[in-house]
Amino acid sequence: MTPLAFIAFLFILAAVVGLFSGGKAMTKAVNLISALASIGVCYLGILGFTNNPPSVTLSLFEGGSGITGLLGSLTLKVTPLSAFFLLILGVLSFSASLYGVSYMDMYRRDMRLYNVSYPLFLLFMMLTLLTQNLLWFIIFWELMTLFSQFLVAFERSERAVKAAFKYFCMTKAGADFMLLAIVLTIIKTAGTADYSGISQVLPSYLIHHPAETYAIAIGMLVGLGVKAAVVPLHSWLPDAYMEAPSNVSTLLSGVMEKIPVYMMFVVFLRFLPLDKYLGLGIALIGTLTLFFGTMYALKQTDSKRLLAYHSIGQIGYVILALGAGLYLLSRGDALLGAVALAASLYHAINHATFKGLLFLTAGSVAYRTGSRDLNYLGGLAKSMPITAFTALIGALSIAGMPPLNGFVSKWMIYASTLPTPTVLSLFGAFALFISSVTTASFVKYFTTMFTRPPLERIEVKEVPPTMWVPQAILAFVCLAFGIYPKLPLGLISKALKSAGVSVPALKTFPGIVIPNTGNIEPLAIFVVLLAFGTAFLALTHSKVVLPVWTTGTRKPLSMRLPASSYYASFEEEFEEVYSLGEWAGKAISSIWRGTKRLAVLYEVRSYQADLMMTASAVALLIMVLILGGASL
Amino acid sequence: MSLAGCIVNVIFAVIFAPLLDGLERKVKAKLQTRQGPPLVQTWFDLIKLFKRPSVTPSESIGWLFRLGPPIALASILTAFFFVPAVLPDSMRFWGDIIAFLYLMTLSTVAVTLGGFSSGNPYAQIGSHREVSLFMAEEFSLAFVIAALSVSVKSFTLSSLFPLPLKASALIGALLFAVLAYVSGARVPFDVSEAEPEIVEGPLIEYSGRQLALLKLSIYTKRLLLFTVFLNFFLRGSPAVRAIYYVIGLIVLSVIYSAIEASCGRFRTKDAVRFLKRFSVLGALCWLLALMGW
Repeated sequence: MTPLAFIAFLFILAAVVGLFSGGKAMTKAVNLISALASIGVCYLGILGFTNNPPSVTLSLFEGGSGITGLLGSLTLKVTPLSAFFLLILGVLSFSASLYGVSYMDMYRRDMRLYNVSYPLFLLFMMLTLLTQNLLWFIIFWELMTLFSQFLVAFERSERAVKAAFKYFCMTKAGADFMLLAIVLTIIKTAGTADYSGISQVLPSYLIHHPAETYAIAIGMLVGLGVKAAVVPLHSWLPDAYMEAPSNVSTLLSGVMEKIPVYMMFVVFLRFLPLDKYLGLGIALIGTLTLFFGTMYALKQTDSKRLLAYHSIGQIGYVILALGAGLYLLSRGDALLGAVALAASLYHAINHATFKGLLFLTAGSVAYRTGSRDLNYLGGLAKSMPITAFTALIGALSIAGMPPLNGFVSKWMIYASTLPTPTVLSLFGAFALFISSVTTASFVKYFTTMFTRPPLERIEVKEVPPTMWVPQAILAFVCLAFGIYPKLPLGLISKALKSAGVSVPALKTFPGIVIPNTGNIEPLAIFVVLLAFGTAFLALTHSKVVLPVWTTGTRKPLSMRLPASSYYASFEEEFEEVYSLGEWAGKAISSIWRGTKRLAVLYEVRSYQADLMMTASAVALLIMVLILGGASL
Repeated sequence: MSLAGCIVNVIFAVIFAPLLDGLERKVKAKLQTRQGPPLVQTWFDLIKLFKRPSVTPSESIGWLFRLGPPIALASILTAFFFVPAVLPDSMRFWGDIIAFLYLMTLSTVAVTLGGFSSGNPYAQIGSHREVSLFMAEEFSLAFVIAALSVSVKSFTLSSLFPLPLKASALIGALLFAVLAYVSGARVPFDVSEAEPEIVEGPLIEYSGRQLALLKLSIYTKRLLLFTVFLNFFLRGSPAVRAIYYVIGLIVLSVIYSAIEASCGRFRTKDAVRFLKRFSVLGALCWLLALMGW
């Protein structure tokens, strides 16, 4: 287990080094050490797929029973499932750390908060994935949240602090729900918190106790759902992602949002028995998430806020596929169920790569121009060609265009949902529609920043290599996972097997995955035709360059639609969606006002001791009655 | 031989699509009591365009602007490999509907990105409209695809050809015909190109060979949509099938151009509203399919 110790040492070293000084050189050192450790995380992930995955058990304190017994030993183990997510973590954190070396120059202030929080955030994400004990899991989970909160608040502006506070409150409340579910789990397993112990005992018990199953499932879903930002628990996310530095947003969206997905796989595949309604419920949540997340993303005019809303939308796809897989497996459809689960994992890694890439490009643009305003930006493709090209790859990937990775996972999601004669096909139809909204939204993202003429001339140059190389790495992964889906699918089928799902042999072609027979390579045809087309145009390329045609007037046409009115006609027609969101916002704030009024009332009444005593006694009586009724 | 058959299909499509456009121009002219150009006029136009060099606008993002037309045409022609056309050969695989749909999307995206990168304000307006309409269209199309695939309980295009005699399948096919009309950028829905108002929108800055490729991609896209619709009904031996196919193309072309000649253009908002309301029919069709009718 030396690699793990070494990686943990590097992260802690980075944090300690960063503590000494808030200077720029120190931040660079912290980022470089983190990048080095991230390579180690990748290595750990690769080791997890070998026959002899690394594992370590640390004895923290001797013996004991109860809570000390449960926490007494810390087992860290790489399973194929966690190895898959470790790979996501490794690749993304390497890119983000390397990117941070130059990017953090933007901030002229004491960097100690970043220097300490950043490596520890990475370390606790890794430990959350590695631990094999539910109690340790919640501890690492909370620490991960804590350090990510510091990173969100890093800019210390009023908005950033507010966003971090909102983020903290919501995830904290969610984690409490999860804690209740974990306590219930430990009670029902007679004091085991180990994953393997739970998976041996719990499913066979719960299969006859649906009430407990739903209680654990709902507690877990709320806790994990807040972190994964499923609608309606998502409202912290756009603020938090927008305010964090871009390389941190990359990690928040690319990795931290995937950890609840990992835990959902563990909980719903290993801990809980397969349940039809649970699967359907999760799929419904996923559909709502992808629908509302993406529809709201369409309206955004801040580059990072737009990406943040899309993070909600894309996680909806992952959760829809997970729910569909659970539902299909519980109905006995092994083939489609396995394809759906594989699609879920595939989309998770795809989302990590393309969304990570897009956040980096948004950061690069902000780094050079100092602006995230899509209404203002424009025409950057000429001065920042590499960033523009990688952003185009990212935008086309998330839109699911054929030779890129988004297409493969979306294809698998549709293939497993659309043709089933159940309500799942409706969910699939919504996913298909939302895919077109995603396309539109990224046409907007790309064209507003890079292609259309700017409002005023923006004089910038390309970002330094430490910033564009991470973008190029992620763009390459996007392309490679689209053209060669066999590689991720091999890992996914191993990961799923370790979670107890047997995956049928999937045939892969460039860009296409096929469960049974197929006879062509569609991509090959596309490439041949495209090559002919471009060759034809290149051979006959003329050097004639003329100014843009302005319908005959002498002056240039200064017509330029602002980003806010890109798809105005569409948004106006689909106003219902947005008014629903507004209505929900109003409802929540009126509940909040009501609660405040109640609290004031309580404060006033609390001076009257005997009234309070009576009220408490009545409350106690009610609780005893409920508990008594529950035990009957 | 499957691949050879597919290549024949594609070649036929490339040759025949401009002729079909010529026919449509003739029909529209006759309906408006004009003489109209000869059938091969569209081909003459294309040949003329192919002979001319292309001009690059000075404010454009060159590489993106030049990549637009070949990607648009290549994706449409690749989609042709998935559907049987004049010969009953096609490349079939599980889930090819999705590959088909996304290739169509790719061609739309290529045209709009080309338009946006040309630097011309009219092209931008046209591209906004194109994408708005595309989203609304996809909203209906998603339901129709779901209805059709639930109805035949399969996910290959070849299992949809021909459709079983079920209410949901047949209604789905008719709804598809309407959507084919919409995405063929025909008159009430040609908001993105709208010649009199925004002078061909995304195409405005293209010229010469690039314009020829784009025009060809529009004609072949229309032909492709006709082909999918006809395949829902075509049966029989290859020879009979081919004859019916060509007759079907001509009939559809006449009907569509007659509708086109008698309409004015929608505003973008109205077109989107139409499609949004139309999606209710798609959802009902899906419900029918779910009930097994």
